[in-house]
Amino acid sequence: MLQLTISHLTEILPIVKNSFFRVLQACSHNLCLLLFPQLNTPPLRHGRIPPAMVRLITHNLLACHAKGCTTNNFPLQFQDVSIELRETEFNADFIRGFLPRIEYAALVSAARQLGDTSLPAEQPEMVDDEFLQKLHHVLLEIHVEEGAMVCPNCKHVFPISNGIPNMLLAEHEIG
Amino acid sequence: MFTHYLFVFAQVHDEFRIPELESIAELHGFSIKFPDNPEDKKTARPFMVLGLESEEHAKVLSERCILVKYICEFYARGKTYEELHRENQLRANQWQKYAADTSFKFMVTAFNHTIPQWRQKDVVEGFSYMDFQGKIDMKNPEIILACFEEYRDKHGTTRAKDEGDGEFEEVWFGRLIEVGSARPLVKKFDVKKRVYYGNTSMEAEMSLLMANQTLASPGKLIYDPFTGTGSMAYTTAHFGAFVYGSDIDGRQMRGKVKPPGIIRAAAQYGIANRIMDLCTFDVTQNPWRCGGLFDAIVTDPPYGVRAGAKRLGRKNVRPTREGPPPVHAPRPDDQPYIPPTRPYELSELARDLVLLARYMLKPRGRLVFFLPTVTEEYKEVDVEAMLCEGMELVANSLQDFGSWGRRLITIRKTTTEEYPPPTFDPAHAVTENVASHVPAHKDFREKYFQGFKKADTEEADQDSEEQQ
Repeated sequence: MLQLTISHLTEILPIVKNSFFRVLQACSHNLCLLLFPQLNTPPLRHGRIPPAMVRLITHNLLACHAKGCTTNNFPLQFQDVSIELRETEFNADFIRGFLPRIEYAALVSAARQLGDTSLPAEQPEMVDDEFLQKLHHVLLEIHVEEGAMVCPNCKHVFPISNGIPNMLLAEHEIG
Repeated sequence: MFTHYLFVFAQVHDEFRIPELESIAELHGFSIKFPDNPEDKKTARPFMVLGLESEEHAKVLSERCILVKYICEFYARGKTYEELHRENQLRANQWQKYAADTSFKFMVTAFNHTIPQWRQKDVVEGFSYMDFQGKIDMKNPEIILACFEEYRDKHGTTRAKDEGDGEFEEVWFGRLIEVGSARPLVKKFDVKKRVYYGNTSMEAEMSLLMANQTLASPGKLIYDPFTGTGSMAYTTAHFGAFVYGSDIDGRQMRGKVKPPGIIRAAAQYGIANRIMDLCTFDVTQNPWRCGGLFDAIVTDPPYGVRAGAKRLGRKNVRPTREGPPPVHAPRPDDQPYIPPTRPYELSELARDLVLLARYMLKPRGRLVFFLPTVTEEYKEVDVEAMLCEGMELVANSLQDFGSWGRRLITIRKTTTEEYPPPTFDPAHAVTENVASHVPAHKDFREKYFQGFKKADTEEADQDSEEQQ
């Protein structure tokens, strides 16, 4: 009998405790609001979770890979996209190391298509910190959230949903 | 000039210990001198005396190696305390500088045993000949002297409290300089506390060990082609790298609510910005424009037990249809069209992965992946046969589950030559290098579900069943 009550108690205790705290929390929150109405902002949890998005660096690395589509399959054209800017830590070495892999003209045209004209049309011969900063911004901080990427050659539409591009091919496109 | 340091390791994943040390040393460009005596290099014991060129290196290792618990400046070891004290006195030049007025405390502890308080005091008093005149400070001492007794594993035996006390195998002594600060990461990345995970998520400790094998660090770009729920993305990004993830099944990366699960979990760890992007595609039909992109490829390929590897295509090839390709009506969910997939056999996948890595990695980049193998059938040649020109084996560490195990394979790209992308053609999948031995990871799924029975015992089983 005694055991039963103890086990019940241990079971109930956390629930009672939790609800007590919740009531307390709610009361104090309301009280605070009465006293300081400017505090009425939604509570932050885990900080802000950024939505996933396609960065231009990714766009610069993806080509249409459908069967037989080997020419004019890059860069993919953006369609009905919505963009957002989001800050990312700057690492000069990373950008400098990545520079040889970039298709510069494609990057500039993609950025301009999305309304960013910060990059010079021609890649400067002198790679200075200012240029790296600009590249960093275009490569890593411009994000495409929704929309699609379309192959300029075979017109395959690669949809971007929830920031994740779907690059799967259909049955007749693999080989 | 190497100085000796006493390392105390967590006695888990012992085959991963030395590769981890070597990786972190390589990442930071220094070397470790391992003991010459093979007996002292064995990882069955948690203690090891290693040579380092500077105390700074010990700090680096303790901050990054998941398996390091303590690092001490090594003074002495012995089968008995007499032996220990004799050796310690010979090294007086190392500790005498602390004798005059340095505040200190002693830490007396044991492996596989608990030393009773009264004897701890005896042990400390045994060191009285060191004649330390400084203040004893239990809270903030300037130096900590550490004494470890090492006992044999008494697991599974019943014994009285303190029984066998003092009957240690060996005793070790040094000045504690670093407490492993990477080990708590195992708790931080605990899958159970993660906001998004799946039934194939990699355990925290292993995904951290994998991240160390990739040499992840700020400014590097790392790729996981079977990213699933992103377990390795979080740990590699934690060490500063940018991470790409792709998977044939976008649902694994997304989960059910927005934003995608991997992004939510990455945000929990404060590294969402280092998830470069996620992408849905079949790695055998991948859209990467060029090779030589990544500093490392890290992955846990699905081997068919909880999740099977899939690639685009059909299991049974249908005759090709005449006429234009069919038009697929858009579906109500966010996946407009889901192409058919077929199983991807493991030995085929492993071989393709090495070829893909040779194409996609930068020179000296690393491929780190798990390969499940049947313990009885495994031969070293299984791994060697996967290698190709320009790719060299760095480490091969077994996590043993009994009848099967998985091996963490680390391969380095040694070539600076550019190779073509792999064809992913199953026709080449025959293990041409090993005519004599079928790799123990071939058809792993089938073997797993047959309980790893050998072909002949299976026949015997059938016979006995028939008799019944």
